[in-house]
Amino acid sequence: MSFLNKNVIRSITVISVLFCLLWLIGLGFAVGEYYAGKPEKVPETNTVSKKVENKKGLTILALGDSLTRGTGDETGKGYVGVLMDEIKEKTKRPVQLTNLGINGQRSDQLRKQIREKEVQRQIQKADMVLVTIGGNDLFRGGQGLVDFQAGNIAAIEKKYLDNLKFIFEQIRKSNSKANVFFIGLYNPFIELNQGKEMSKVVRHWNYDSAEVSAAFPKIVFVPTFDLFELKVNDYLYSDKFHPNSKGYRLIAERVASLLTW
Amino acid sequence: MNKLIQNEMMKLIAKKRLIVIAIIIGILVMLFTYAQYKQVQTQREKLGTSDWRTILQQQIVDTTNRLSSSRISDEWKKQLQISLQQQQYYLDHDINPAEPGAPTFMRIFLESSIDLFIPLMVMVIASDLVSSEHSLGSIKLLLTRPVKRWKVLLSKYITLCLAVSLVIAIAGILSYAISGVVFGYKGWGAPILTGFNVTDTGLNTSEVKLLSLWKFLLMDFGLVWFVSIVVGTLSFMLSVLIRSTAAGMGVMLAALISGAILSNMVSSWESAKYFFMVNLRLTDYMKGTAPPIEGMNLSFSMMVLFVWWAAALLVSFIVFTKKDVY
Amino acid sequence: MEKKITLSVKNLKKVIGRREIIKNLTFDLREGEVFGFLGPNGAGKTTTIRMLVGLIKPTSGSIQICGNNIEDHFQEAMTSLGCIVENPELYPYLSGYNNLLHFARMLDDVGDERIREVTELVGLTERIHDKVKTYSLGMRQRLGIAQALLGKPKVLILDEPTNGLDPAGIREMRQFIRFLAEEEGLSVLVSSHLLSEIQLLCDRVAIISKGVIIRVDTVQQLLENRERVVWHIDPFEKGKQVLSSLTSIEEKDDRTILTDFDEKKTPEWNKRLVEAGVSVIEINRKMPVLEDLFLELTGGDTIE
Repeated sequence: MSFLNKNVIRSITVISVLFCLLWLIGLGFAVGEYYAGKPEKVPETNTVSKKVENKKGLTILALGDSLTRGTGDETGKGYVGVLMDEIKEKTKRPVQLTNLGINGQRSDQLRKQIREKEVQRQIQKADMVLVTIGGNDLFRGGQGLVDFQAGNIAAIEKKYLDNLKFIFEQIRKSNSKANVFFIGLYNPFIELNQGKEMSKVVRHWNYDSAEVSAAFPKIVFVPTFDLFELKVNDYLYSDKFHPNSKGYRLIAERVASLLTW
Repeated sequence: MNKLIQNEMMKLIAKKRLIVIAIIIGILVMLFTYAQYKQVQTQREKLGTSDWRTILQQQIVDTTNRLSSSRISDEWKKQLQISLQQQQYYLDHDINPAEPGAPTFMRIFLESSIDLFIPLMVMVIASDLVSSEHSLGSIKLLLTRPVKRWKVLLSKYITLCLAVSLVIAIAGILSYAISGVVFGYKGWGAPILTGFNVTDTGLNTSEVKLLSLWKFLLMDFGLVWFVSIVVGTLSFMLSVLIRSTAAGMGVMLAALISGAILSNMVSSWESAKYFFMVNLRLTDYMKGTAPPIEGMNLSFSMMVLFVWWAAALLVSFIVFTKKDVY
Repeated sequence: MEKKITLSVKNLKKVIGRREIIKNLTFDLREGEVFGFLGPNGAGKTTTIRMLVGLIKPTSGSIQICGNNIEDHFQEAMTSLGCIVENPELYPYLSGYNNLLHFARMLDDVGDERIREVTELVGLTERIHDKVKTYSLGMRQRLGIAQALLGKPKVLILDEPTNGLDPAGIREMRQFIRFLAEEEGLSVLVSSHLLSEIQLLCDRVAIISKGVIIRVDTVQQLLENRERVVWHIDPFEKGKQVLSSLTSIEEKDDRTILTDFDEKKTPEWNKRLVEAGVSVIEINRKMPVLEDLFLELTGGDTIE
């Protein structure tokens, strides 16, 4: 019975004792570290590494609101997803998508998001940037429909354009080469009572957005207003605000037609 | 006393429980490793990149979107917010929260097995230390020697502590050795953050510290050890009180599992925080996730566990030295 | 010459709940004797033995082993005691040797040498390194004894030592116990519910029933007092009349009559019978067995 040899048992005992001590030290460490008041080594905020890794594939970055997220699309793809599928079909290179769209995001929030180090790094890496923003500034979840005639819409738009300009500046600062596609607004309320008046506001909004885009190189304003102008309800999700799968497909096809290789 | 411990060790080893436990841990680690590997792979496929920053950024955005949904409970929302802030902090400081490698796997394995799996293994050893002597009948021989009863029990308890230490060491070594095959054996020096403070308003990052992973791991091991000792002592007490090993195990198992369930839903039942089983996730305090019940922190949980430990030990010794053996 | 007292029990009592399990037991064990503890199942033998070895705390009374009270001087008292309570339940997953080693470690200065000695004494040398679960019951019993002898005890307590053994094993065990008492000078306390065993094995016997010791005496004395005479007579009714006028009689089912034996009076009774015209077919002097005695003493308490 060599297995139950006295020496075997003794050595197992000794090893156990050593581990027991080691874990006790660890416990002491944990408690000490937890209560040590001042951190000795405060982590520093690192600057984004300038080094861009060599990529083999195509990198696409999507920024913006629920449209970028794909809210309302039963397949969950959104226009970004549909567009990706088309790009994958056309190009042989591997495609990498980073979708940073956040539901309900407004231009001031995107402005904040775009200043994050990691987001900047993502922009820097991107070969193409897709942006949807402004819908939540203007419509504010339907509130815009009620008070669009009041004077404050002008103030909102002014702020929005200011944010938009900042966003584009940041994108261009980080990455001067990538094509940026900025998706314009459509009017989901076009068939409602005040649809006509609302449309006017949206057109004006789009016009000013296009003007801002035009001030930057390689930033393309992609209009969608006309896509939803007729039979808008065929292309809207049940919330009558976001596009449905068909609506997203329309947007994606329009963007796809603009792509150059 | 040394001789008595040698005796208990001899019996423990002869029973081959440790080997069984090592095999169970080994199998589980293999499953875990494979699952982790698969997860990394699918993530890579989905996002088309293995860049952790991109993945983390994507996770942050995903979490943000989940937060905007109105269907999630306040409870869950708060937890998400905290993990979101933490992820953002990691990203801002350019630290990978899950540096690939066996040490990180070890950390994740420890953190996820602290409240159920490792206590379970410890329970397997502890719950029959005394009751098996009863069921074998050898207790009659053991207690008719010229050795005081408390000494007999103490030798058993010390053996339990040693065995617990050994089980944790086995878990550590196996998780490192097995996962290293897939993830590589490097990464001891990877930086990791600790000292996040969960407050009412969210996550307080003013006391965040940067640690090397090995140091963090050592601390994790210490906490796992503490939890295991407490659970082991409780099973030990049941083993003294209940003659049947199976019944003792059943009681302990029920307690452990109820703890795992409870900690997911007791946030509104405040006095539940005095149960030992909702206080087992000590490593979460190091990591900085929201506690199951407001007001719980490391010292509170350790205090609760300590009281349970002391009570269990006291009961064990009093009962064992006084009890008539039939 | 009175031999030294090794185990002394005085006014031992045990109350569990409201039931008095053991009521006032008092007895002594002397050096070199085998003391029998006889009683039916449930009489309190096991409880008493468990109190003697310290497994159960007595409610009152004292137990001294070689002069040491087991409550105040547990360690000293236990040093001079070896015991097997019920079956020798050793660790089946350890070898015989490791079992002995295990218990040797719980005693002071018991080394390998002594382990070898006791192994040889019980004749287990060949199988000592095999696991106990491969042992036969007899071998386990012997290992149990070896374990009990490790510390060279003065007092050996064996609870039902022949339980489950085959006839050859029982005889072997009996010889071994006698050997220990006679050659090694141990005091051995043996409990049993088997009368025949006690009769063959013991020097003195305590008869216990319902928690009370009914009688303590040497086996010989117990038996001597109870020699009987069996009368086979014809005609039966007349003879019975004659005898009953002379002494107390007991009528047996097989038409015989039982009287006490008295060296002087028995011939006289015989003469009177003959005078009365009763023919005596057979007079048989009957050596009593403990069984009869036991039944008499306990008033028909059941026993196997």
